[in-house]
Amino acid sequence: MDYVVRTNRLAKKVKGHEIVSNINLRIKKGEIYGFLGQNGAGKTTIMKMLTGITLPSSGEIELFGQRLTAKLKNTLKRVGSIIEYPIFFEHLKALENLKIHCEYLGFYDEHAIKEALDMVHLKGVEDKLVKDFSLGMKQRLGIARAMITKPELLILDEPTNGLDPIGIKDIRDLIRMLNKEYGITFLLSSHILGEMEQIVDRIGVMNHGRLLNEVTMAEIRKQRTDYIELVTTDVQKTVYLLENELQISNMKIIQGNTIRIYDLSISQIDISKMLALHDIGIEEILKHTSSLEDYYYEQIHGGGNVV
Amino acid sequence: MGVATLFKLMGLEWRKLKQSMIMIELAIYLLVMLFLPTFFVKTVNPDFGKSFDSFFVLMQSIQMGWVLFGASLINQVFIEEYKNKTIFLSFTYPLSRQKLFLAKVLLISLLVILATIVSFLLSGIATYVLDGMFSIFTWQLTSSDITTYLGGMIVRSVIITLISFIPLFTFGILEKAVVPAVICSIASMQLPNFSPMFNIDPNHVIAVLCILGALSLTLSLMTAERVGDI
Repeated sequence: MDYVVRTNRLAKKVKGHEIVSNINLRIKKGEIYGFLGQNGAGKTTIMKMLTGITLPSSGEIELFGQRLTAKLKNTLKRVGSIIEYPIFFEHLKALENLKIHCEYLGFYDEHAIKEALDMVHLKGVEDKLVKDFSLGMKQRLGIARAMITKPELLILDEPTNGLDPIGIKDIRDLIRMLNKEYGITFLLSSHILGEMEQIVDRIGVMNHGRLLNEVTMAEIRKQRTDYIELVTTDVQKTVYLLENELQISNMKIIQGNTIRIYDLSISQIDISKMLALHDIGIEEILKHTSSLEDYYYEQIHGGGNVV
Repeated sequence: MGVATLFKLMGLEWRKLKQSMIMIELAIYLLVMLFLPTFFVKTVNPDFGKSFDSFFVLMQSIQMGWVLFGASLINQVFIEEYKNKTIFLSFTYPLSRQKLFLAKVLLISLLVILATIVSFLLSGIATYVLDGMFSIFTWQLTSSDITTYLGGMIVRSVIITLISFIPLFTFGILEKAVVPAVICSIASMQLPNFSPMFNIDPNHVIAVLCILGALSLTLSLMTAERVGDI
């Protein structure tokens, strides 16, 4: 298997306290991998270790099949990142910040800088001081900087942080485009689960410094159980009618007055029409689709397996 | 690592700095240093003007002020980078922290040593010109004095550069604290002046300070990969 990121029993201790333990992460080439986890779960710490910002206390990191250590950091040439929030030399102009970044990576292509700024819809800002940028602009500039050199792996910690809805969509589209057209592998983290759901191929759930589970979005979608939730004025009669009039048997009553129908061959409209004909008042009828949010909630509160 | 790479890294470090602030600071220091020797001889202690040797002792002591310039650079090159977290950006580049720190300390060394040499030269010339105008000294400058001055200038500039690194490891990298770093520098540059009060040879104090500076520098580079991590 062609892994871009591979960690083996990765751990980080800070002042004797283990904040990340036994992480065995595998990210495939061309994949968009999403990290989910509450604040303090260890997502950012792992990203910091993968980008050389902080050193692991134990364990190993392999990027593109090569070890990443304090002395062997050459693979970082192939990695772009934004960790926590985009950091710049605020007293310098945007262009100077980008040029310095490129020079550290031994990359000299003025056109690529312009192209990256265009991609994030930042035009004509080259000569503006970064301290005059809004948070959203800094985020866009950070993403531009991360991708100027066309890295093969982009590690973005909360990439849509500080962006307006249009900006969020732009970044989502940009990530998809870079992934599809340039084959860039992504490691993302976000608190906005709906955002992640739309973009990632696979997720890893972090909790208390441990990687609980890794699962593809396709698997989550396959596992999901959809149902119609129905609240009426007469539960007993409704159940009787559903069984006899619509031949629905796969259902259950929860909390006394709510009926959950798992047989989705009958539409909400048909159910509503039938109940109306029999003078049953419908207080609520809702089709429920289990989502990434449900999966995440289940992992965090239901105790997932440690990977 | 090649010399060219090292120069490139030093250049990048320079580009990241608030250069206008450094240039202003440098100009103020140089301006003060121009007149300070004459001011001392005329108003504080005329004994310093009795011979070239006593004047040169004064000049060397005054130039110790550049240790403070070193502290200011440590603040910009290390402490501010940690505080603004821009140093973490540097950690994401494909170069070891040791090389990164080496480029930083070499840049500080270069700036301090050049500033001190320029200051020695300008102060010497300014004092000579002022002597011509106001007859401050009773002795005549000889070519032997000039040779002593230039030789002493090089040695003292190296000493000042080494001493300016005393706060680097403890206050620049471990504590990341500006005020203690500045206080440490002020104490370092003043210690040789006060040592005769305790019957200690100032040259011995300077030797110890140089050792401390070298130790701080070595520790900063040797522990770069681990110390200062987050």
